[in-house]
Amino acid sequence: MKPKAHALELRELRAGYDAYDVLQGISLHVGAGERVGLFGPNGHGKTTLLNAISKIIVPRSGSVSFMGEALESLSARRIVERGLIHVPQANQLFPDMEIMETLELAAFTERARRDRNANLDYVLGLFPRLAERRRQQCKTLSGGERQMLSIGVGLMCAPRMLMLDEPTLGLSPKLKQELASAIGEISKRGIPLLLIEQDISFVLSLVDRMYFVDHGEIAREIDRGSDVDHEEIMDMYFGGHAAP
Amino acid sequence: MTADTISTILVSGIVLGSVYALMASGLSLVWTTLGIFNFAHGALMTLGAYMAWTISDAAGLDLWLAAGIAIAVAAVIGVGILMERLLIRPFYDRRDILLITVMTTLAAMIFLEKGMQLAWGARLKQLRPIVPGNVNLLGTTISAQEALIVVLAPVLLGLLWFFLRNSRIGRGIRAVGQNPAAAKLIGIDVSGLFIVTFALSAGLAALTGILLGSVRLVTPTFGAEPLVKALIIVIFGGLGSLGGTIAAAYLIGLLEAALIFFIGIYWAPSMIFVLLIAILLIRPQGLLGKVER
Repeated sequence: MKPKAHALELRELRAGYDAYDVLQGISLHVGAGERVGLFGPNGHGKTTLLNAISKIIVPRSGSVSFMGEALESLSARRIVERGLIHVPQANQLFPDMEIMETLELAAFTERARRDRNANLDYVLGLFPRLAERRRQQCKTLSGGERQMLSIGVGLMCAPRMLMLDEPTLGLSPKLKQELASAIGEISKRGIPLLLIEQDISFVLSLVDRMYFVDHGEIAREIDRGSDVDHEEIMDMYFGGHAAP
Repeated sequence: MTADTISTILVSGIVLGSVYALMASGLSLVWTTLGIFNFAHGALMTLGAYMAWTISDAAGLDLWLAAGIAIAVAAVIGVGILMERLLIRPFYDRRDILLITVMTTLAAMIFLEKGMQLAWGARLKQLRPIVPGNVNLLGTTISAQEALIVVLAPVLLGLLWFFLRNSRIGRGIRAVGQNPAAAKLIGIDVSGLFIVTFALSAGLAALTGILLGSVRLVTPTFGAEPLVKALIIVIFGGLGSLGGTIAAAYLIGLLEAALIFFIGIYWAPSMIFVLLIAILLIRPQGLLGKVER
């Protein structure tokens, strides 16, 4: 059963760079409170998809709606104001700014500023390591710390929905686990998630449903309930059309 | 070297350094935030001086001095905003924005200089000093106006530093300079803050012009020499660091004063360039700049 009002709904979204269309018409939805994964080989449009939703790039055609509101005419800033927050891949953030400064700044919109103190407490509780290093500059952080800060920055924007682009890219298994539990914690608050991840077991442990993105299209939709075995997923990854 | 000599060099160096710090900080702010050099920064300074001269001279009342300063600064800020809109904004998405804006801002400089020549003529002008009289500083006599510059420069730069460090908009400006894409994703109006930055920088240029306009004579190319010095200072201080820029401004001011004293005003400017080149050979990242990547 699908919920009535989707948090996010895309219809036939096309976008790309210069003359090249990376997204060949993507349709998908994320229900209220739902956690959805996007996976698939690199360079097949997952990051472009998030960029097109948050208006880092302007889509060529198709529609995006968030909580029932069409986003076509809205700028990146307005979309953040609505609460649709994109945490980009390997975000370098602001190299010369300190952790606390960065978190405080991230509550930039009017709406986010109202909840600033509560959100700050929440982020520092979720990632105690950020609290320990509050005066440290972003450029001196390790990969894991930077990823934590990146998610923390997203949370400071007072999200009504979070889109995370490979939050565990290049991290050790131990750190991955730490971040996975933090992300699980966040989704318990009822914040819908759209999560890009390469690590299948990681993404399976966190989401209700997944889309497999291939050549700029949704090649498959996989419910967690439906039993897809690991081999089948590997086949999809490595162009398994030839597989028996 | 007598104590008198040292005091003379020190005092005139600090006066020069204060002027350069005011000029260069505006240039540095635009560089760190927008990633461009504004070659019309000196012309904006000149415009500030002419505007203030017209308003305060026509009125001839002390009361009008403050109003003249305020109106002149506001007008120059307006011109600065217009420049950003017309000459810089259309090129934000281009890779070669740095080179294109060298051309557009140089064009603006020439346009403004010629325009000011038409409007105010080539005859030398001088503003009435904000504070009349002379002051004795460390045994050297300078005009009270110069003393005012020495006092005001650190105050204004301190305010600028505090604003960038602690205010929401100031922090936003730093964020936009360091990572515009990430700034967008937390809801910062990037192009809006570009305008604020340009306005701040133009305001600083105008104030410098007004302060210096009663010490030196105002001509249409009044801002050209301070602009060149400010460019040197921003590079010398290490691109992208306001602290480095300010330190370099005072250092170059003192250096110039010493060079003028020892080798004369004729060779001093070229010697500064020679020293700059020598230092950049040893420290390519500038005085306080950090090595990139």
